[in-house]
Amino acid sequence: MFFRLLRLVLLLALVVSAPLSFGAAAQGLAQAPAGLVADQQKILQDLTTKTDNLEKKIQQDSEDDASLVDIRLQLEELSRNSLNSALAFRPRLAEINARLDQLGAPPAAGQPPEPDIVTAERQALASEKAEINAVIATAQNLSIRVSGLIDRIGNMRSELFRNLLTKRYVLSDALSPEVVSDAHEEFTGFYKAVSSWLIFAFKFKFQAVLAATLMALVLAAVLLVGGRRLFGRVFEADPGVEDPSYLSRLSVAFWSTLLPTLAVGAFLVSTVFFFNYYNVLRGDIGVFLNALVAVIAVVFCVNRLTNAALEPQLPNWRLIPVETGPARWLVRLTTAMAVVIGVNNFLSVVNDKMGSPLSVTIARSFVATIVVGVILILMGLLKPFKASDGTWRPWPTWLRYTSVALGLFTIAAALLGYIGLAIFVSLQVVVTGTILVTAYIGFLSARAIGEEGGFADTSIGRWLSANSSYDETALDQLGLVVGVAINLMIVLVFLPLILLMWGFQPGDIQAWGYKLATGLTIGSVTISVTGILTGVVVFIIGYFLTRWFQGWLDGSVMARGKVDTGVRNSIRLAVGYAGVAVAALVGVSAAGIDLSNLALVAGALSLGIGFGLQNVVSNFVSGLILLAERPFKVGDWIVAGDTTGTVKKISVRATEIETFQRQSVILPNSNLINNAVGNWTHRNKLGRVDIKVGVAYGSDVKRVHALLLEIARSHPLVLKNPEPFVLFANFGAAALDFEIRVFLADVLNGNVVQNDIRFAILDIFSSEHIEIPSTPRAVVETKKHEAWPIDDDKIEAEFAERELAEAEAAVEKKRLAKSGRKARKPDPD
Amino acid sequence: MPCEMQQRRCETPILQMWKSLVAAITFLAVGGSAFAASAVNKDTETRTLIVTEGGGKTELALAAGETVEFCPNGCFVTLPNGDLEALTGSETVEISGGVGRIK
Repeated sequence: MFFRLLRLVLLLALVVSAPLSFGAAAQGLAQAPAGLVADQQKILQDLTTKTDNLEKKIQQDSEDDASLVDIRLQLEELSRNSLNSALAFRPRLAEINARLDQLGAPPAAGQPPEPDIVTAERQALASEKAEINAVIATAQNLSIRVSGLIDRIGNMRSELFRNLLTKRYVLSDALSPEVVSDAHEEFTGFYKAVSSWLIFAFKFKFQAVLAATLMALVLAAVLLVGGRRLFGRVFEADPGVEDPSYLSRLSVAFWSTLLPTLAVGAFLVSTVFFFNYYNVLRGDIGVFLNALVAVIAVVFCVNRLTNAALEPQLPNWRLIPVETGPARWLVRLTTAMAVVIGVNNFLSVVNDKMGSPLSVTIARSFVATIVVGVILILMGLLKPFKASDGTWRPWPTWLRYTSVALGLFTIAAALLGYIGLAIFVSLQVVVTGTILVTAYIGFLSARAIGEEGGFADTSIGRWLSANSSYDETALDQLGLVVGVAINLMIVLVFLPLILLMWGFQPGDIQAWGYKLATGLTIGSVTISVTGILTGVVVFIIGYFLTRWFQGWLDGSVMARGKVDTGVRNSIRLAVGYAGVAVAALVGVSAAGIDLSNLALVAGALSLGIGFGLQNVVSNFVSGLILLAERPFKVGDWIVAGDTTGTVKKISVRATEIETFQRQSVILPNSNLINNAVGNWTHRNKLGRVDIKVGVAYGSDVKRVHALLLEIARSHPLVLKNPEPFVLFANFGAAALDFEIRVFLADVLNGNVVQNDIRFAILDIFSSEHIEIPSTPRAVVETKKHEAWPIDDDKIEAEFAERELAEAEAAVEKKRLAKSGRKARKPDPD
Repeated sequence: MPCEMQQRRCETPILQMWKSLVAAITFLAVGGSAFAASAVNKDTETRTLIVTEGGGKTELALAAGETVEFCPNGCFVTLPNGDLEALTGSETVEISGGVGRIK
């Protein structure tokens, strides 16, 4: 009765407290950041306004490529921002969802109604969720719109590019005498702008200019001097060296291009930076200065590179084996080409800023392209090599024709009025050519390092061989790895560079890389490079972890735990195989290969595999049993069938046994499991050696027995327990046979002990005058046939005599048979 | 043979080379991972996600138990229960019982 009451009270308490606790929790949760939705709405409003502005700007700047790129970057930023503003709702959404889960579904028609407070809360949460969803939807729409705009910019830019290449200008208009006056006007304007700036700078900012220039100079000097100090040896070509190695020539070319270019670049960039910093620049001067700086840097780099590769002064250090005269000419022509292209670019900036007429632009580009075309043809027609008979030989055919064709194409395009195309081609020739030449030099150096002994000759290789334990083979392999790595790096650096030069966007390249990495879908199979690479990497890591664990377990734990060698070996092997199997499994799943698909195939194939790999599987299982059962261990002396020898290695399929003749016998494990295996050294190395000896009849056998026992006991390797034993074995045909049986602690010493004991027996028997009989060899006399008889009567008489003897023998035999005696079988041995 | 006399010395260069190779690969693997969001369908029936990526919406149907990688650079996704969520491209969307959860 009392219990029933208690239960009722408890039940009531529960019913009352349940909604209460719900309410308390709901109150805690209801205090959501009320401003969140409003905040994000405002941010999205801002973003939408910005997008509207940018869209208008796209319309305005539809002809300006640089401006379009800039707008594109801003749009990408907007897209990210809208995503971020949507992301801000995630914690709140998670809270709401969790709470809705707690509240559960609204009660169905038949069920009792829930408290009002629960219904109200559910509704409040649902409406908040709807509100948030609406804001996120706004963000989503904005993001879609921005993406559309970005696509539009891409289309516009490619359209612009096409126009640039295909637009034809009427040259007769552009190249009229008016151009001269236009150009003169423009030059005057430019001169005025620069001179007024110079006057301004000298009058008001002289100290700042001085300070800025000085600082930039100091920075460049530090870079140059520091570089010389650091890389002095590889930096300069030494004229005294008769025949520098290809690698040192390459490194000289590389460093003597890189360091001065860096120094000049640093000087130029820091000049511009400090001028900006001190507010020396005014108006368009900054733009002019930037363009000028770029031109100087490019021309300098090209000049250094050609000088380094062709070395007109030092034929020994030349990378490309051209003659000295042509080398000089090539350097001049290349530099001239870079200067023309650079000046043309600089002037285009000036034209842009001065708002000069189109005719000037066309005329300038026309001249520049014609000059570049002529230079290309000249380079192609140059005869840089000397044959052995002293005649000059041209470039390889493909190079010659490419160069001449490019030159002719540029000139023809310019003459026909396709100025944009001509400028594009000539710019590409210079820039892409420079990139390609640099990449080619890189490839050559990779090849030189990868060659045998190449890496050991480098300064790093010398340092490594002096300071580490790397031997020649390891250095060679390292060189190979470095060579491959350099090749890979060149492809990774220069391929995107060239693609970028040819108008591809970084986003395109990134998208390709991503596609290649995440998976090319062929039918229903997706091949993913990263997946496979990840799998391989995971497997390698797993493999090395296993190896490390194995070594640690074997070397540190089990060695110190004084674990038996056999057990150690077994555990090590088992851990190794298990680790590799796990690593392979993990690797396969990391590669994204679905093992369940494989299971089907495996099921179908298992029957075939079962038959085909019967032997292998049986050996494998036997190997596992060997590891577990351990009938022998490494180092044991075993006898398996015809094979006797020491166990060298127990693998999972076969066991390697080395015979005493040092022949390695690989025995399949199933042989060792299915057949009897004798092990001389299973539990211990104790073993018995038997030595037989015979003494002549008539010797004092008691004395012999005592002597033999004495000999056996006196040998140091013979065990006292079990005691040596001398067996009086047999009354032999020619001798009384004795057998000495001795036990040895290590049966492997058997031969030594046998030798010692036999020598001792001989010595002692001879001193004691005991004879060891040797069975005399039987003397076999060959019977000669008698001569053919001549006397017939005598033969007849002998024949009759023989007949008579035989008849008598037969009678005698019959008599014996009747008496019932039988010949007995001999006893078994 | 010097190798037999100094077993340890002969092994080390190859071992060290392997070590550095492994280190490099590990570094690459760590750097290269985590480049896309993934969605897991733990239900027994096919579920559909609507992914807004770039300029368009695509429907991503997930068979029962399937895992899909999508959305490398951020996107919006409509979950099967109608919730709209933004993803940065590193999350895992788990669908169970017709409800998507972001982890």
